[in-house]
Amino acid sequence: MEPLIQLKNITKVYEIGGPAMGRLGRLRGGAHPGLSVTALKQLSLDFHRGEFTAIAGPSGSGKSTLLNIIGTIDSPTRGEVHYEGRKVSSLREELLADFRLRSLGFVFQAYNLISVLTAVENVEYVLALQGIGREERAQRAREALRRVGVEAQADRRPDLLSGGQQQRVAVARAIVHRPMVVLADEPTANLDSKTAEALLALMLDLNEEHGVTFLFSSHDPRVLSRAKRVIQIHDGCVEGEEDRE
Amino acid sequence: MSSALILLAWRNVWRNRRRTLITLLSIAAGLAALLFGQSLVYTIQYQLVEKATGVHTGHIQILEAKTADFKFPDRYIPDPGGIEKILDATPEVAVYERRVVVTGMISSKKEAAGVLLCGVDPERDPRVLQMSRYLKRGRLLGPDGEGVYLGDKLAAKLGVNLGDEVVLMGSARDGSMGAELQRVTGIFSSGSQTFDASIIYVSIKTASRLMALGDEVNDFVIRVRDPMRLDEARDELARRLRGRPVRVVTWEQVDFELVGIRDYQNALLDIVLCVIFLIVSLGILNTLLMSLFERVREFGVLMAIGAGPRFIRRMILLESGILGALGGALGLAAGCAIILYYRKAGFVLPVGESIGFFMPFDSVLFLRFDWGRHVTAGAAVLLTSVLSGLPPAFRASRMKPAESLRHI
Repeated sequence: MEPLIQLKNITKVYEIGGPAMGRLGRLRGGAHPGLSVTALKQLSLDFHRGEFTAIAGPSGSGKSTLLNIIGTIDSPTRGEVHYEGRKVSSLREELLADFRLRSLGFVFQAYNLISVLTAVENVEYVLALQGIGREERAQRAREALRRVGVEAQADRRPDLLSGGQQQRVAVARAIVHRPMVVLADEPTANLDSKTAEALLALMLDLNEEHGVTFLFSSHDPRVLSRAKRVIQIHDGCVEGEEDRE
Repeated sequence: MSSALILLAWRNVWRNRRRTLITLLSIAAGLAALLFGQSLVYTIQYQLVEKATGVHTGHIQILEAKTADFKFPDRYIPDPGGIEKILDATPEVAVYERRVVVTGMISSKKEAAGVLLCGVDPERDPRVLQMSRYLKRGRLLGPDGEGVYLGDKLAAKLGVNLGDEVVLMGSARDGSMGAELQRVTGIFSSGSQTFDASIIYVSIKTASRLMALGDEVNDFVIRVRDPMRLDEARDELARRLRGRPVRVVTWEQVDFELVGIRDYQNALLDIVLCVIFLIVSLGILNTLLMSLFERVREFGVLMAIGAGPRFIRRMILLESGILGALGGALGLAAGCAIILYYRKAGFVLPVGESIGFFMPFDSVLFLRFDWGRHVTAGAAVLLTSVLSGLPPAFRASRMKPAESLRHI
């Protein structure tokens, strides 16, 4: 079966200090083009539909970079990202944005809801960007909020919601348009253990009951214990992989 | 434009209420001040033109072809009757009169003074020019055309009053010295030193007799039906008068210094306009840049969930457009309110006294709307606002989603 996502020889190098520092280094004799850090080294991975996969590793191991590259919000220095056999890593930003809009959902560590929109408006926004009509998107957004258990808070702005509620709204926003995959970067890191447990249960439920594919990063052993597949990353390389299904 | 874009842009504008209100107020205050300035200058210009054309120059003049100084036409037009027939048949002409305008002297028992002597048509003059409005005592020239009316300052200098005798003198066309004894029938007070102290009005019959003229005149003063189509009227008259030894000039050619003043004031207004737009655009740019730096992370989120660079650009441009439209609307409303107030109450302008030296000019100005310029200023504020949104819009749209999301 063709993988949903294929990463081929992904390398990511960050220029520390940005291009200006690089230029400055070259001006000073050409031998010091600025500092660079290799976050991912020739990494190749496949992911399949319906997975509930955790990317594990200590801080600075490259988890977030990997998720960003899978999510096409960052580009690899070398290598290719394929979705259902289609190479997306070389698409123009406008086309990439459209791809993300229709195919991906994101959950961030810091929730990252849009502060001037209410919970339901945040969820609706993805549908609005897709050009879906007002009635349908309102109905689908409320349904998504109901599914994650925060329908009662639909009309509140993020600053009036608890961390757990905000993250649930973020999950609702990530699934409302039925994406191919939901990418979650340390989704429980800012939550207390009880709320984190509840959120994880919700994600598992969405995966098992509704077939939503989840790729998430974490270094929390309790979270990792719930994953069906765990990929261990260290210094930008795959250190190990465990399939629990 | 999608409702999602409008909703988010609108909410973003009000994200920091106080900052937005300060920006709006600065745009509005700038525009309102500009509108007031435009209205004031327009009113001054309008009054200058009205007074200049109304009291002496008229809209159009017909002068002898070789007349060099249009203000003091010292050459004579032959066959004025033939010209009158053409004027009567020209639809653009509303009313006209023939005049003899010469320099001469007026003397009383006590004093003498050099004057510009205007020989006017007693019956037509009040319809062509407005000097009669400034008559303070006595009456205009009677139907028989006898008498003289003069300004209060000249009357005071000469020590004459209504009914007193004065002698008019001038160097006649035949080389003799002409003299006429007349009684003062009226005294006017226009507020203008030039008019009140050095111009006197007699009938054209008296002036012609004094200058030993036959039927000749120095000029025809014409009021046209549509002052906005002045050049067309002049061209039409010139066409009809072709072959005659005359030239047709508009008030802009006679009172060219007024055109200079108008152009100078307009240039000043344009500079003020640019300064205000610069302030407006810097204000908006500042607001948008501050808002942009506060929202870098949110741009990352928007881009991650599928908003492309074009969406981000349009959103920021819309935000700047909203700021410009709201500020512009506030400014237009405030500016119009100020103009309306001074349109009713009048605005005392000290410069009226200085302009009044040269021509009758009211010191209390009742402001007029200069809609063309007002609308242009409002539209320019909107355009400037949108343009000042361009740098932040392009800057935000070039952000990388992952980098934006890392922004603290």
